[in-house]
Amino acid sequence: MKRTPVIAALMATLVAAGGLTACSSSSGDGDAVTISIMETKQIGIDAVKKLIPGFEAEMKKQGKNVKVKLVGDVLTDPQFVTKITQQFIAGEAPDVIDLGDSMVPGFAGAGYLTPLDDYLDKWDGWDHYFPHIQKAMVRQDGNIYALVHDSGVQNFFYRKDILTQDGIDTAQPKTWDDMISRLEQVKAKNGDLPPIVIPAGTAWGGGSWGEGFQPILAGVDQNYYSLKTGKWDLKSPGWEQTFDLYSTLTTKGLLPVQDLENPNPWEPTKYDKFPAGKLQVAAQGTWGWKFDWGPNGATPIDGLETKVDTWQYPAMKSGGETYGWSGLGSSYGIPEKSEHKDEAMLLAQYLSSGKPLAQVLVASGAAPVRDDIADIKPFADEPKLVQAGKDLASSLYVPTGDGSEQIAQAVANATELILQGKADGKEAYDSFVKNATDLLGPTLVK
Amino acid sequence: MTSITSAPARAATASPPSSPGRRGPKRTWPLVLLLLGPGAALIVLFIIVPAVYGLYLSFTNTQLTGFAARNPQWVGIDNYTYLLASQDFLSSLGQTGQFVLFSAIIGQTVLGMVAAILLSRPWVRGKGLFGAAVLMPMIVPEVVASLTWASVLSNNSAGTLNRLTGLFGADPTAWLQVVPMVSIIIVNVWRGVAFAMIMFQAALEDVPAELIEAARMDGARALQIFRHITLPLIRGPVFLYLLLTTISTVGVFGLVYFLTQGGPGGATRLAAIYIYERALQFAQIGIGSAASMILLAIVLVLGLVYVRLAKVEV
Repeated sequence: MKRTPVIAALMATLVAAGGLTACSSSSGDGDAVTISIMETKQIGIDAVKKLIPGFEAEMKKQGKNVKVKLVGDVLTDPQFVTKITQQFIAGEAPDVIDLGDSMVPGFAGAGYLTPLDDYLDKWDGWDHYFPHIQKAMVRQDGNIYALVHDSGVQNFFYRKDILTQDGIDTAQPKTWDDMISRLEQVKAKNGDLPPIVIPAGTAWGGGSWGEGFQPILAGVDQNYYSLKTGKWDLKSPGWEQTFDLYSTLTTKGLLPVQDLENPNPWEPTKYDKFPAGKLQVAAQGTWGWKFDWGPNGATPIDGLETKVDTWQYPAMKSGGETYGWSGLGSSYGIPEKSEHKDEAMLLAQYLSSGKPLAQVLVASGAAPVRDDIADIKPFADEPKLVQAGKDLASSLYVPTGDGSEQIAQAVANATELILQGKADGKEAYDSFVKNATDLLGPTLVK
Repeated sequence: MTSITSAPARAATASPPSSPGRRGPKRTWPLVLLLLGPGAALIVLFIIVPAVYGLYLSFTNTQLTGFAARNPQWVGIDNYTYLLASQDFLSSLGQTGQFVLFSAIIGQTVLGMVAAILLSRPWVRGKGLFGAAVLMPMIVPEVVASLTWASVLSNNSAGTLNRLTGLFGADPTAWLQVVPMVSIIIVNVWRGVAFAMIMFQAALEDVPAELIEAARMDGARALQIFRHITLPLIRGPVFLYLLLTTISTVGVFGLVYFLTQGGPGGATRLAAIYIYERALQFAQIGIGSAASMILLAIVLVLGLVYVRLAKVEV
């Protein structure tokens, strides 16, 4: 038979190809274990690159031969989610992934991330984490799936230099009525251009929820999600009040609608007009001091700390308290399919402790989530970040769980209707409820 | 009538039997298997199997993230009923229809025909240069084309179009936000006109010159000749082109996504972008698959209509 040699040749080729593929993923350095870490922001890539030799040396001291491969891939959040989801499914995800904490519930729920509880129980660094941060990391099934390594306080950054020059009061606005009145003055003094950017609409993606809507909602209502039941209460009163506020800001011409409709809305607003002083107020996290407008940031503002200052979120109604919104920033997750979970966790712990963490925090402009970093240089030399760390303890935070991506989508869609002038606050709320109910399905809605 | 017949069918009808006798087919099947096997296997592996799996997924609530991802459930036609009642999805179908109609069926076809006719005229000078200029958009990689147009339509004063309008004193305009659909239609026409030109040029070469000459001697004007002689003779290739461009334009994703990401406010959220958002950004594979199946059904119906109209044998 002539077929036998052909089949044999084909099989040999397949086996050889398989062998070559297998060889490519193994280390050629004796008994070294090679793990990989993925960073998707340039600042993170640069910071972690500098820290890898220190980790490898530290491991050597402990008698472990661990090498680290940095997978640096600058991606937007939606690009990252698309890419890493496919890698999770294929079992090809890097051993440590630096991901936004808002993405953790979805990935953890799907079983892509490994629970870290056992590792954390044995780690002495865990005791230094702020208790409210430890609590916020727990997902609805009671496990922790990602180790948060930084945080930030979301406030309103405003151009103090321009407001002062215009003779406008720069004291903390107590209520949203005060804030709107202040913004109208700013608008009148600056060519009738919209003065404030708050993420809204579909173009801003998940930010419309996490950086825009949720901090305002949390100021009036903290019962919209229950960790106990894992359900969203779409009838909770804060939703409609927050949509009403967006509607008011839009109809008064205070939000830059056209810029918010830009495919990359942060560019004309935060990276163009705010640095140029043509937009004077921006909802922004602590990382604005470094990542956005710092000397090595996306669009540096000379004399940033003298030109820019922050207001907390005003209360929705008179008598309420102003507040900062505490957003959990980034966290290290380890894929369930990783073959080197122990080594990956060692790397995550190393990057989340002491001087390495201080360096990463300064690079990204974030606040620490643990109590033993404030005195470590270079973090100790950054007064704005040190202050943010102190503010964190008194900031608001409402942990959420499964379904946050769907809520984010429904909020983006509903605020989009407001931006387009197709809905007022009530209509946007009704549309949100319908949309969110569809997306969440019956099990996640109260 | 122009007819396009598949190669195996032609071989079956045109080729005389090479070795008459009962053992002929038995001797040739290994060769046939060898020649067709790899192609057929690839089609099964990369088209049929994923399509069938996609069909299966469309009847489930499969998600890529969240606790629901662990236990996908069979939901029957729920995804289909949801989509067919969804204003967003229906709107994306409407936008896809507009996009296909104006960019492919009207824009590319008309301009491609004009370019082909011009290039077939013996008196036209600089055909090579003209042909190369028209062909250029087709050979440029999609991402380069997108970058080019992002620069042309940029909303700041450095954008090429804004520089041009600035010469007349106009303020910079955010073209992709003010006229998003028109912008992407123009970009797609620019990109696809070369393929139309090539197909029509080849078809025009097959039109017998003596027929045109006879019509001219009978006093027919150019437009009459084109309408009553040329066009009927090239009807097959024209409908074939319309079929191909409709299918490919319905599936356009990268060019539009790069420029507008479906915005502003969903004004350019074509069906392909809607499916991408649902299936990958929002991780709802079940709904994304159902939307793909609906789109596939629409394209199949359109394809059948074209084939019937052209009486093209495919």
